[in-house]
Amino acid sequence: MNYPVWDIPASGLLIAFIAIVHVFVSHFAVGGGLYLVLTERRARRGKDVPLLAFVRGLSRFFILLTLVFGAITGVGIWFTIGLVHPAATSSLINTFVWGWAIEWTFFVTEIAAAMVYYYGWDRLPARTHMAVGWIYVASAWLSLVVINGILTYMLTPGAWITTRSFWDGMLNDTYWPALVARTFVAIGLAGLYAIWIAAWLQDPDLKARIARDAAWRWVLPMAVAIPLSLVWYLGAAARAGVPVAEIFGARDAGVPALVSAVFGGALTTGYPVAQRAAWWVVVTAGALITLTLVLVLRRSRNYGRPIAAALMLLGFVAMGGSEWVREDLRKPWVLGQYMFVNAVRVPPPDGAPVPPAEFIARFGADRFSVDAINAAGILKTSAWVRPVPDDLLSPADYPSRAEHQGRELFRTACAACHTIDGYLAIRPLVRGKSPEALTGVIAKLASPVDAAGAATAWSTAHLQLKTWRSRRMPPFVGTGEERQLLAAYLALLGGATPSSLAASSPPSDAGRTYYEANCAACHGPEGLAPFDHDGRKPAEFYEMIGRLPAINEMMPAFEGSDAQRKALSEYLASLPRPAPKGGAK
Amino acid sequence: MIPAIPQPDPLALPAPAWLLWALLMLTFFLHLIPMNLVLGGSIVGAIARVRGRRGDRPQEAELAHLVVKAMPILISATVTLGVAALLFLQVLYGRAFFASAVVMGWWWLSVIGLLILTYYAAYLLAFREASLGAAATLLAWLVAAVAGLIALVYGNNMTMMLKPLELVARYAADGRGVQLNLLDPTLFPRHLHMVLGAIAVSGLAVAVAGVARRKHDAAFALWAVRYGAFYCGLATSVNIFAGLWWLAALPRDVLLQFMGRDLTAIGVLLAGILLTMTGAGLLVLAATGRRPALAVTASTLTLMAGVVMMLLTRDTVRRVSLELAGFQAVNWVAPQWGPIAIFGALLVGAVATVLWMTRALATARS
Repeated sequence: MNYPVWDIPASGLLIAFIAIVHVFVSHFAVGGGLYLVLTERRARRGKDVPLLAFVRGLSRFFILLTLVFGAITGVGIWFTIGLVHPAATSSLINTFVWGWAIEWTFFVTEIAAAMVYYYGWDRLPARTHMAVGWIYVASAWLSLVVINGILTYMLTPGAWITTRSFWDGMLNDTYWPALVARTFVAIGLAGLYAIWIAAWLQDPDLKARIARDAAWRWVLPMAVAIPLSLVWYLGAAARAGVPVAEIFGARDAGVPALVSAVFGGALTTGYPVAQRAAWWVVVTAGALITLTLVLVLRRSRNYGRPIAAALMLLGFVAMGGSEWVREDLRKPWVLGQYMFVNAVRVPPPDGAPVPPAEFIARFGADRFSVDAINAAGILKTSAWVRPVPDDLLSPADYPSRAEHQGRELFRTACAACHTIDGYLAIRPLVRGKSPEALTGVIAKLASPVDAAGAATAWSTAHLQLKTWRSRRMPPFVGTGEERQLLAAYLALLGGATPSSLAASSPPSDAGRTYYEANCAACHGPEGLAPFDHDGRKPAEFYEMIGRLPAINEMMPAFEGSDAQRKALSEYLASLPRPAPKGGAK
Repeated sequence: MIPAIPQPDPLALPAPAWLLWALLMLTFFLHLIPMNLVLGGSIVGAIARVRGRRGDRPQEAELAHLVVKAMPILISATVTLGVAALLFLQVLYGRAFFASAVVMGWWWLSVIGLLILTYYAAYLLAFREASLGAAATLLAWLVAAVAGLIALVYGNNMTMMLKPLELVARYAADGRGVQLNLLDPTLFPRHLHMVLGAIAVSGLAVAVAGVARRKHDAAFALWAVRYGAFYCGLATSVNIFAGLWWLAALPRDVLLQFMGRDLTAIGVLLAGILLTMTGAGLLVLAATGRRPALAVTASTLTLMAGVVMMLLTRDTVRRVSLELAGFQAVNWVAPQWGPIAIFGALLVGAVATVLWMTRALATARS
């Protein structure tokens, strides 16, 4: 909102694509360096000329892949997040510029060491060459050490929320498990890449030696170590307040419950994208281990490129899936407990440093916090919202104006995740819904609660989110009128006619009002479970409304007043019965 | 009225602005040298490759070969040093930079693809120069063209971000990230000035390479100093007109800073012109004089000082343009001295380590 929204569909997918490709190479850049120097040392000590030649060939592949593709796609992630999430990137840079500057010193050393290592094969004495290799290994890993802090901060900012301290942000709750996991991943990937390069070798003995070494010493130990570190990571994230269990639709954040949810079906809706990604991670990792074992036990002398390519593909999917899960754990935040994916901030909690008076005098109070936007509205806060054309200003033009302003609101508040018809498409979700029903859902997307689940203020430190049907959505921020405009736009997307929009007005009946705002999204004629009263009387509905989650755990508890409960009961009993095709009862 | 310039984050600036500015200038200067050698060097190298195909110009063939061998390392240095400059730019000017980048989103992102393309082309040339035949010439021109295109995309962002008030209207017209700043009267003279400057610096580098090889290959050394002096002198001479064109194209209020309103800005600009012309003159002297090594050294120092002055002038244009648009510096500073000190110590360590490694390689080679 503070910055323009890059108007492309599924911008998040663009980040995911570049990021996953990059991490698959950048982790190899860390582990591969270690593989090079250790294998070089072994070859030199054993005067193993073929193995030394293999390492030398691998080093050429290594610099071509990591220095060019790895380094440039790393810059590419930076470019992309700056385009897709400029506000978050700005906040990250403000907080961690010295982290990146420190990482840059390792990056410079790493790049120079890789170059000298490669160009030094025929020129440097063996001892110096090995020393340069170790400098590479150290600087590449230290680069990961720093970046890991920034990445984990984005999920679990910890005490930074109240202190705004560099070290509190960097050394956060998931820092160590993530660092260990990434280091193991880097080591495992080095083995996979070695198997891949060895597939080109003609000498079956050398191929078998390299494949067995890579499998038994690099890939398979990590196949045990990585899951253990990920369990540690998920536990740390859950303890830090990340709703791991809710996202996976599991009983708790323990491994059995999570595995059960991923493979046996989620207990609650949770976040299906994360659940599917986790399924792929487990399945492809299992296939990777199996295939590696088959290769090393049965085909190490004569395996070809297809099997090596399959291993690489499985490794890529497993790693990409893991990164996808990590990103989904963070939803709906882009910076945990600080900024939502649509660049709206929560106000600073008590005790957090706030801008001094001279800053406020020069720039004004923060215009992009939840509370500030709720008070002023998106349309009057963001400079990047396209103004309403003059010919749409009259009351008679409400449908066209609603479409225009609703589209702007959607672009500003929703398009960070949703497309119209593509990835996370909104149209199927709003098809056939009335503006009233959509207004009701929009109002309930997310609200702040404390650790005990009680409603609290947005400025609460370490707040949790109560989200609509466990969907990890940010709250809608803006005025009541803007909520209606967005709902009207969504209703139009869902098939409502402009004339129905013009005729729509807030229902006068209290029962219908409550129904439209709270029930119709699921129980309307086009909903997941169209309502059928089945001849029940108001008194029966009154009783049932008091135990909605017990009737179906997907239903939230009734939160209205007693008068609203009575009115809703009357209204439900008065509804006409739908044509007989099943539905909610 | 909603302010067009994005509001600063409600976070303190993590260092005094002067320190961030100094690091921006330092890292940009360090980036500028290899970047000039990539941009100008690829042009000089491609021309030398075409001309060197005639059998009577072995030095030009040798120069083309040297450029090809150095290009991957130069691209790597350009990128590595460039990220630091971009980092400090974003801390200080992110509010203008990000908005501009979004308006030209796809173009800005294309830099990544173009970089990968030119980088691999440079490696292909370096590894397979002999076997590529005529394709080597094509690849050499491809590297030069893509480097020039990347520079133009950067120039678009760096000029568009200076007009934050225009960005709102631009975005309202089209938010897909497909716009460029081609109608800005400063864009092309600025780009021309940069490309000619890069050729001049590359001419200097050719002369330096000649001096470095004078003990092993005196004939090549003499030729390289003359050849480099020719490029440097010619490019600098033409660049005077390109620079004046750029100056004249600046918005009136910015131009007036260099016409009497800001004596420091005038002094820095004049010093830059004087130093670059002197540097180029010294290089021409090296080509004709008896002690070329001394003259080349003096020319290098003078030209580098000139580049620093030009860099400061460029910074003045940016600062003044943004101030005139209402851009204000963040006035809430809470320095992170611990991480700053660690960065300083590690920077020294990194420089020492890189110097040790490159010295080890260079010594082993000799």
